[in-house]
Amino acid sequence: MTFIVLNVLRDNEFYGYEFIEEVKKLTAIEIAEGTFYPLMNRLKKENLVDSKWVEQDSGIPRKYYVLTDTGRETLVQMQSYWEKLSSSIKKISK
Amino acid sequence: MKMKNIEFKESASRRVYHDYISRIKKTTNSLSTSDQKDVLLEFNSHIYEALLRNQNRNEIDQLLDVLDRLGIPEEVLKPLVADKKLEQATTTFNPLHVARALILNITNGITYIIFFVLYLMLFGFVYLIYAKIVHPDEVGLFFKNDSFMVLGRTGQENLSGSEITELLGNWFIPVMLVSILVFYLVITLLLRLKRKINKK
Repeated sequence: MTFIVLNVLRDNEFYGYEFIEEVKKLTAIEIAEGTFYPLMNRLKKENLVDSKWVEQDSGIPRKYYVLTDTGRETLVQMQSYWEKLSSSIKKISK
Repeated sequence: MKMKNIEFKESASRRVYHDYISRIKKTTNSLSTSDQKDVLLEFNSHIYEALLRNQNRNEIDQLLDVLDRLGIPEEVLKPLVADKKLEQATTTFNPLHVARALILNITNGITYIIFFVLYLMLFGFVYLIYAKIVHPDEVGLFFKNDSFMVLGRTGQENLSGSEITELLGNWFIPVMLVSILVFYLVITLLLRLKRKINKK
């Protein structure tokens, strides 16, 4: 799940609901929506993502999430791990 | 930043919404005020944005749908509350926060059970202070023939031998109080270290 979150946040910043919709659009994964927030809290503590509150005209602010430098480095490492894993699986399943 | 309630046309929707918000408040009431507010604002924002994008059905059905997908506050927020409580406990050193954090995290692994036992052991020192007040002659740091014998209580029959000496005397209670403080700080710092290791 961390891999998905970091990937989705790679080029854009999203607020909670928008992020969940984006994940649904890009993948076939159904997120239990409420579980997204504890996950983001953990990633924030691990310094992989950062967040900021942005006031809205409606008076109901949005909390935007953005990838940190550590998050980008972690994403590169995860990407390379997944590529290796994926190529190994392909070789085995031939 | 202030919490603004979402407005509804139907009274049934208002009731359901306010009930959900109260459950969030109740679930997070052990957290710091700023953390409570942060969680509440974020869930409120989620509900508002979700309702805004799905306006093709009647209000109450739409709201029930959104809340259903968001999940039961008591279940969904459990890991977040446990995590934030542990963070609060290890930064404030407040014994009440520590106890609450350990209870919330006890299902998250054997380490937390060990820490729970370590904290419980601190009550051993509290008992020694109480015992010293009630039985001043029988409680202390005892040495027999210049080697350590016992830290605690020993029977009157053992004390009759002239080779047994109590080392701390009137300093026993202050030493125990300092020991409680030192052990408490050491265990809490270890707990903080464990959290840091977990992050890596």
